[in-house]
Amino acid sequence: MRIQEHPILGTYEKGKLVEFQFDGKTLTGYEGEPIAMALKAAGVMVHRYTAKHHKPRGVFCAIGRCTDCVMVVDGVPNTRTCITPLREGMEVQTQYGVSTKEEA
Amino acid sequence: MERYELVVIGAGPAGLSAAIEASKYGMKTLLLDENGKPGGQLFKQIHKFFGSKEHKAKIRGFRIGQELLEQAQSLQVEVLLNAEVMGIYEENDIMVHIGDEIRHFKADNIVIATGAAENMIPFQGWDIPGVIGAGAAQTMMNLHGVQPGERILMVGSGNVGLVVSFQLLQAGCQVAAVIDAAPRIGGYGVHAAKVARTGVPFLLSHTVIQAEGTDHVTGAVIAQVDSHFQPIPGTEQHLDVDTICIAVGLSPMSQLAQIAGCKMVDGPGGIVPEVDECYETSMPGIFAAGDVTGIEEASSAMICGRIAGLAAAKRGGYVEEDEFQTASAALKASLDQLRQGMFAKKNRGRTDLTETDEGYPLSQSLLKKGFMDPEELTAFPAAQVHRAGIHPVIECTQNIPCNPCQDACPCGCIEVGQTITRLPVLSPTAQCVGCGMCVSACPGQAIFLVNEDYEEGQASVALPYEFLPLPEVGDQGVALDRHGKQLCAAQVVKVQKPAANDGTAVLTMMVPKEMADRARFFEKEV
Repeated sequence: MRIQEHPILGTYEKGKLVEFQFDGKTLTGYEGEPIAMALKAAGVMVHRYTAKHHKPRGVFCAIGRCTDCVMVVDGVPNTRTCITPLREGMEVQTQYGVSTKEEA
Repeated sequence: MERYELVVIGAGPAGLSAAIEASKYGMKTLLLDENGKPGGQLFKQIHKFFGSKEHKAKIRGFRIGQELLEQAQSLQVEVLLNAEVMGIYEENDIMVHIGDEIRHFKADNIVIATGAAENMIPFQGWDIPGVIGAGAAQTMMNLHGVQPGERILMVGSGNVGLVVSFQLLQAGCQVAAVIDAAPRIGGYGVHAAKVARTGVPFLLSHTVIQAEGTDHVTGAVIAQVDSHFQPIPGTEQHLDVDTICIAVGLSPMSQLAQIAGCKMVDGPGGIVPEVDECYETSMPGIFAAGDVTGIEEASSAMICGRIAGLAAAKRGGYVEEDEFQTASAALKASLDQLRQGMFAKKNRGRTDLTETDEGYPLSQSLLKKGFMDPEELTAFPAAQVHRAGIHPVIECTQNIPCNPCQDACPCGCIEVGQTITRLPVLSPTAQCVGCGMCVSACPGQAIFLVNEDYEEGQASVALPYEFLPLPEVGDQGVALDRHGKQLCAAQVVKVQKPAANDGTAVLTMMVPKEMADRARFFEKEV
């Protein structure tokens, strides 16, 4: 859920509202915010499944350290979605191991 | 290869301060940071800082970050972002990963200010989406305006756990509980108290043993632990939460110092470079400042960074010996002020303290439950409720380095004195005018204004309020006690929110006179 108004921060400065693709679905988010934030606001929790045990992973540290939130972004696997800014028309895919489902 | 007189690695509070200080003396400085934006974690800190004026007390962290950026800009510090330092090699060759390339920089002096990383504890299901670091919660809500979850379990009662719990409440989330395996609350009592009075329970000697759910957290199982921190069978309880937030301490990120060949020491807080009093490591010209040398507050990191920057400037021939001595002595004195009291580095982990520096018994209730029993408060002179007319009631009972209350009062009612870890004392002569400046200035939100003579049989209690929606004059509701339990009917009689308070409203409620010593929060009737 997005915070509409914050008691200390007021309203948040955001880029323009843009559309992007998540596993073939069209979602919206604000340009320039981390991809992970747009996904979180849209209720997406699972970013990838691990290679060996196929266990779900999502945002954990949110500052680019832990690499738990990596996804396939515009065809590039292992993209840290918590620090990669959202751009209009981006293609974001759940990562299975180190690739998309079709390739896994 | 580009050459700089000083390269600072890490643009958080320590690194920014080091770069600013050295640049002030004319040093050619490059500031590197792996993130897309400078400021480190400062921009997520939306609470008011402790300390005194010179430590930027009562200013919110993100505003301090803004100030530092402006200073760095006006001094034309060169900043390179998205620049990940991979290693520091012979003759101060700094290897940096930027985009798709590797670049090398040469530096006469280096300040390593890489900060710290969050610790984690493993438990069943800890890898399920919805288990996050406390820092991640701050990043989501304070930088990007996204709620980390609806209902959160906070694991860890250090200052990070307490501050983030309060921020979660400010972001409109619910906090199901704050738990800690230790038998006592680790952070400042005042931070705990402002969370407790909203009704959040504190469960000490408790740990999380399972995150429930398959592809996201649907609940948590917590259990009581014994004196060896082992879960006690049969004490398990389920909590309905969708997010588990981990705040179990930080570890210095000192790898670069290690690569550079600095002498390292293995202390209680992790492996850190050994530094001298100017924060120079065993490698001449390589300094380390801030959390990388051991975890402390951002306020001290800023001063350590300045000392390192000053020492680097002296090494570069930009500061004369006399000037250096004077400037470093002043900085060290300022740092020393922050390093006093029961939460100082030297007292960390001590459980044998039973009284304050003044000899008052420390509140056991505060350490175990997050709030003080009214009986315990009677030992503290500045917390006395029963006085004639309006007056401050200061529920500040631990020796923490902080004194904005003293500067805030225009009437001279409150005195802390030179040693800023002393508890505030009320002047026997000065007269409170009820302006509420102390209420909003206190970074610990521990000051209330009480007037037992407000009306026949009615008292007024003014309290700090940082939530939305802000109640309005005339609103009917319920007064909560320090534990967040409903106490009695209350009516809002005054709401002050001048710009100088920077978002802290002072809300005055009217309650029956006999509740004046217990009513500490207001809940609007819905």
